[in-house]
Amino acid sequence: MASIKAERLVKRYGAVQAVHGIDFEIADGEFVAILGPSGCGKSSTMRMIAGLETVTEGSIYFDGKRVNDVRARDRNVAMSFESYALYTTISIYENIAFPLRSANVDSKEIDRQVRDIAEKMELTALLHLKPKGLSSGQAQRVGLARALVRKPEVFLLDEPISHLDTRQRYRMRRFIKSLHQKFNYTMIYVTHDQEEALALADRVMVMSDGEIQQMAVPDEVYARPKNAFVAGFVGEPPINFFDCRVAAADGGWSIEFEGRKLALPQRLHAAAQDIGDGGLAAIRPHFLSIGGDSPLRVDGKVFITEELQDQNLIFVDVGETRFTLVAHPSVTPKRGEAVPVSIDPDHLLLFPRSQAGKVESIVA
Amino acid sequence: MYELKSVHKRYGLAKVALRKIDLTVRDREFLVIYGPAGAGKSTLLNILAGITKPTSGDVLRNGVSILRVPPEKRDAAMAFENYALYSHLSVGENLAFPLKARGIGRAEVEERVKRISGILGIGHLLDRRPGFLSGGQRQRVALGRAIIRPADIYLLDEPVGHLDAKLRHKIRAELKALAEDLSATVVFTTTSSREALALGDRVAVLNAGKLEQLGKPADLYHRPANAFVASFVGDPPMSFISVQPRRHDGRVDFVTADGMPVASLAAEAVSDLNEEVGSKIQVGFRSNEVRIAQESDSNALRGRVDVIENLGYMKIALVGIGNDQVSVSVPAGTSLGVGETVAIAFPRDAVHLFQNARAVTHATPSAGV
Repeated sequence: MASIKAERLVKRYGAVQAVHGIDFEIADGEFVAILGPSGCGKSSTMRMIAGLETVTEGSIYFDGKRVNDVRARDRNVAMSFESYALYTTISIYENIAFPLRSANVDSKEIDRQVRDIAEKMELTALLHLKPKGLSSGQAQRVGLARALVRKPEVFLLDEPISHLDTRQRYRMRRFIKSLHQKFNYTMIYVTHDQEEALALADRVMVMSDGEIQQMAVPDEVYARPKNAFVAGFVGEPPINFFDCRVAAADGGWSIEFEGRKLALPQRLHAAAQDIGDGGLAAIRPHFLSIGGDSPLRVDGKVFITEELQDQNLIFVDVGETRFTLVAHPSVTPKRGEAVPVSIDPDHLLLFPRSQAGKVESIVA
Repeated sequence: MYELKSVHKRYGLAKVALRKIDLTVRDREFLVIYGPAGAGKSTLLNILAGITKPTSGDVLRNGVSILRVPPEKRDAAMAFENYALYSHLSVGENLAFPLKARGIGRAEVEERVKRISGILGIGHLLDRRPGFLSGGQRQRVALGRAIIRPADIYLLDEPVGHLDAKLRHKIRAELKALAEDLSATVVFTTTSSREALALGDRVAVLNAGKLEQLGKPADLYHRPANAFVASFVGDPPMSFISVQPRRHDGRVDFVTADGMPVASLAAEAVSDLNEEVGSKIQVGFRSNEVRIAQESDSNALRGRVDVIENLGYMKIALVGIGNDQVSVSVPAGTSLGVGETVAIAFPRDAVHLFQNARAVTHATPSAGV
């Protein structure tokens, strides 16, 4: 196991800079998710850690030792994509034993280790079989077992669970999480799926445009996003943004939206002062309600309601802005119905209008 | 109205894609075909489109067999999972194609291309060729080309599967509104529980070529026909505890292997339960039907927290009870550690009961849990 540190890490492909001099530290045994849209630099970052890409500038350290010039195979890093290439002519036992045989481990020790990992991965009953005929989930577990039997110091997973159905997604996710709990590897999980990142990781590193936007525990990234990009990228259903005017009022600060005025809570005064006139406010769908008695109540018109059974998602148009709000399954307003929408001031976030471009880039 | 009558599809000798499917697509309904990869969803759409011929069975439109009607004469608008765009045409020309092919006038073509591309957020891409688009952009063009023209039936094969979460959220709502506005008949496939529940007037759950259940979203969610549907519909999936029945005083108690009580129902509520030896009886719970209880709660089951998943607005604790694991929704602020022992309160009279994976009863959730 190893701790990882990156200092002013840069990756350039010709004239294109993919990673813009980032710094981060990952503790020994920590599970970090690198989260961002395609092209944000997350895969380049991971491939530099693995040694599959050269570092253009800056340094990577494993346990304080600089590894820029250490070859990939000498870094003792396991990667999830190894799971896709099993040897079809030999048994699952031999597939898992393969890295140990190559390293000339004696056969008694090999047997002990193979059986140990097979048990942890629930593969014991399959050891004598050949890979042909395994389900994809079983094959993936065999591949992971083969990667793990080497006792890697760092385990890297690059979007291992995209394109699965809802049930499989939960299964794989819980399996990966239990792997981390059992083995305590330093794990780095690269994904564009915010739900996977929050659900799995000890800390989430949100990237965009080759830079780290925020690196923090899931609750922090969700509730106190550093900028509009993080606010918009993290959370399902997505956060609601609306343009507002920020103004000083009665010794404090307020925002104006759709002709209504809201005195801002104390915690937002400093942000309001920095922002000046043009604000970009944000509120999560769970903190909006139909009716309600918030001091910030605006008039909306229902666009559509999605009845998800455990909750309803209601899309409401307020002026030019379409809001999503989460409501109890019993709240089922009609299409086109005029409804008052309450915005909970305690969970309001405020960013400068200049960050609106960052929000647009989320769905480009 | 479209009807599949005992439609069977075999590829080669061994691979059965669809097993004797009986299914009606009603006029103006949004029907979602929901199932895992390989369930037969695309085959079913292709049979409705006339691209694939069933091995046996019949396909009817308004009571008349259309097996011999070629795809181009069926008036079905289809969005393929692999997009199938015209690579030599621009995005605008791809969108306009189905309209021009039907001799629709230029002004109207322009108007509709503008409207649909606006809804799908591809208005700025009209001059580009598909080769210069991202996967998500291409998928939106494919969807746009299908929904731009009036059609007797719209067949949409995982049309938003490759979009990122924010866009999927937005387009899902637009699609539902558009289908309502047009009173369109839509068949839509997906592997996402959320999409199935959000969009479908009715949902057909397909698994390994078999129709597991067809019903309204509320039916599938609250009254799943079997354990597969129960565990496949809903996010997070339903969890199960294996139990044994114990009868006394006109009631049936359900207890774990360790004798811990999980549920208790009136005997008449479980009259379908037969007590043959060796049958597998399970109680199913949705994560929001159970809760972490006070340690002092004598009715609660003790379990160990195996995994905690943070979803931002809430957490899901996966709690091991005997050989089973139960998902429990807990509020975002709850501090809970892996390995901790917790008490879980069950809605004793509000459970889903399954015998050998078939539903026996779905008691209505009561207040206070």
